[in-house]
Amino acid sequence: MEGEPFDRRLSRADMLRLAAAAAGVGVVAGPAAAADAAVKRLTQESGRLQVMDWAGYMNDGGQSMFKAYVHKYPNNKPQFTPMTNESDALTKIEKGAHPDLFRPYVGWVKYFAQSGLVQPWDPKLIPNFAHLNPNMVKAGQYQGKQYGIPDDWGFDAILYRKDKVHPKSRSWGLIFDDRYKGKITWFDDLEMITVAGMYLKAKNPWNQTQAELNRSVNFLKKKKHLVKFNWSSETELWQAFGAGDVWIAYAWPNDWVQMKQKHPVVYMHPSVGRQKPIAWVGMFMLLKGTPRPNLAHAYVNAWSSKASGQWLENNYGYGHANVEAKPSSSALLKALQLTNPKAVTLPNAYLDRNIPQSELYGHLWEQVKAA
Amino acid sequence: MGAGEGGLTLEASAADAAAPAPRRRRRPKLATPALLGLPVSWLAVFFLAPIAIVAAYSVDVLVLFPGPHGFTISAWRSLFSGTPYLHLFAKSMEMSLIVSVAVVLVAYPLAYYLALSGTRRKYILLLVLIAPFLTSYLLRVLAWKVILGDQGVINTFLFWTGLRSPDHPLSFLLYSRFAVMLVLGYVWLPFVALPIFVTLDTLDRGLLEAASDLYASRLQAFLRVTLPLSLPGVVAAFLFVFIPTVGEFVTPLLVGGTGGYMYGNQIVDLFGAGGFPDWETGSVLALFLLAVIATLTVVFVRYLRAGEARLA
Repeated sequence: MEGEPFDRRLSRADMLRLAAAAAGVGVVAGPAAAADAAVKRLTQESGRLQVMDWAGYMNDGGQSMFKAYVHKYPNNKPQFTPMTNESDALTKIEKGAHPDLFRPYVGWVKYFAQSGLVQPWDPKLIPNFAHLNPNMVKAGQYQGKQYGIPDDWGFDAILYRKDKVHPKSRSWGLIFDDRYKGKITWFDDLEMITVAGMYLKAKNPWNQTQAELNRSVNFLKKKKHLVKFNWSSETELWQAFGAGDVWIAYAWPNDWVQMKQKHPVVYMHPSVGRQKPIAWVGMFMLLKGTPRPNLAHAYVNAWSSKASGQWLENNYGYGHANVEAKPSSSALLKALQLTNPKAVTLPNAYLDRNIPQSELYGHLWEQVKAA
Repeated sequence: MGAGEGGLTLEASAADAAAPAPRRRRRPKLATPALLGLPVSWLAVFFLAPIAIVAAYSVDVLVLFPGPHGFTISAWRSLFSGTPYLHLFAKSMEMSLIVSVAVVLVAYPLAYYLALSGTRRKYILLLVLIAPFLTSYLLRVLAWKVILGDQGVINTFLFWTGLRSPDHPLSFLLYSRFAVMLVLGYVWLPFVALPIFVTLDTLDRGLLEAASDLYASRLQAFLRVTLPLSLPGVVAAFLFVFIPTVGEFVTPLLVGGTGGYMYGNQIVDLFGAGGFPDWETGSVLALFLLAVIATLTVVFVRYLRAGEARLA
């Protein structure tokens, strides 16, 4: 059961102190102080768990993933603060938000671990940790410590309508294709610079040289007129794609799951030359100095269970780090390569990684939008 | 009345005046700060202090991320040295100007009819005009998506009439500059119509009668009497639209797409909604917008006062 060993130990110790304090009330001052301390500790570990997470992973449809936690800790239900991306989370945390845990993606593990804002997890307090994909677990480590607990994963790839679009090859070039002017949507994120770099054969798209960056940025500026809008929320993408306003999208697997109910769509993994989809893995991170570390571990354990993983796969079309979780749909199983433990790494995909010049990438992406 | 009586009266008046006079003199001294205290404090805390904080971010005195920092004007310098932000600002100004002028042109005849046609139902009609604004702003903007989309009401109608083929819808209607300007115009129309209506409604009709008595045609009366006198309302209405729309970001976010991306969206994105938070540049952009708008407002107000003086 999630988080049980640690919680049981804590509860017993505190309850014993409380009992001793209650018996000694009015007799000596010491037990009263002990009781105060015990109550204080309980109070610190109680209260609602503060979670900063993405839309769809909160009480807006994601309840099944943390159902076990809520069942076990009904008095410590999660209270959510939405995050739209890592930059948004970073800004909120720097400016006073105090979540106990939040979920950046794998490319940000090193950044946050170095920032001093987070602390490593104790995997011993997460019984389901043993079932998590070792490749993804490793991606959550920094200097040998487990800063990120992997959970959901998927790809950045291309979604298109096969009744309207005829790609020349399995390439990222489809989102820059002049034939489909006004029918394309990009993702509003600095990752677009990485994708442009990959398409333009930069040596390391995540760490491009100044010359490569100039080329990528100029290319994006040149192709921007083809783009209807840059999406920042999936609902925005679904609405436009569903209504036929766009036919080609930089998309995630869930978008394919949602859109195939409305249109004949293909979720294409680029594979021309060195082009690949970019794989991302959601990483729960624990805020430094959180007053509810045990509850946070229990929450992540609930998310890491086989049942939660299966629900995520079946309903959102994302992969889950728990290797025992398998979706009921064989099509999804195949599309996500869920039987392949190395689905998120080469030769299938580039696992998203730290961008050393993330500030510069972000700045350049803003300039692309402003141009 | 004898002189003695008069003298007594004067003395009594002087004595009466001597007693309460200090109170009367003190009252205004206390009343003024008491009346002004709250609004001035409000202004200081919620307007001046935030501007000071943003200014501190713009020169790196305050920073988002802890670490070494110090006073620098590098972000200010880069604003004026080839970044696309000024171009974006000019684009936003142009869009706001078009919206403001168009909305004033549409609202004026509307307000004119309501105020001067003599209809007894003018307040009912005014209510009808503002009725849509009793619903959610977001809902109204999203409704435009349904109307303007490639499969929306307008395009579907064009397909049905055979004027367009379903493979070639009018795609500029949504996610474009046009969409932003259309929706902004729709949203701000009542805010423009109301001040013009108020100005025209309070117009001295005697002046129009006098113009008519002096053989002025209706057009001459309008151009020489009604329009100049309603100009303060027109300018106020114009400013009501122009100032907020230059920094607008919600409407462009919902219906603008890449073409309708505005200066306000850039500021929001630099503060963390986009690629990577850059509060320094975001603050520079915000202050620059504030400075330009403040300058324009001062210019407009001076122009208005000069116009009023000429009329007087």
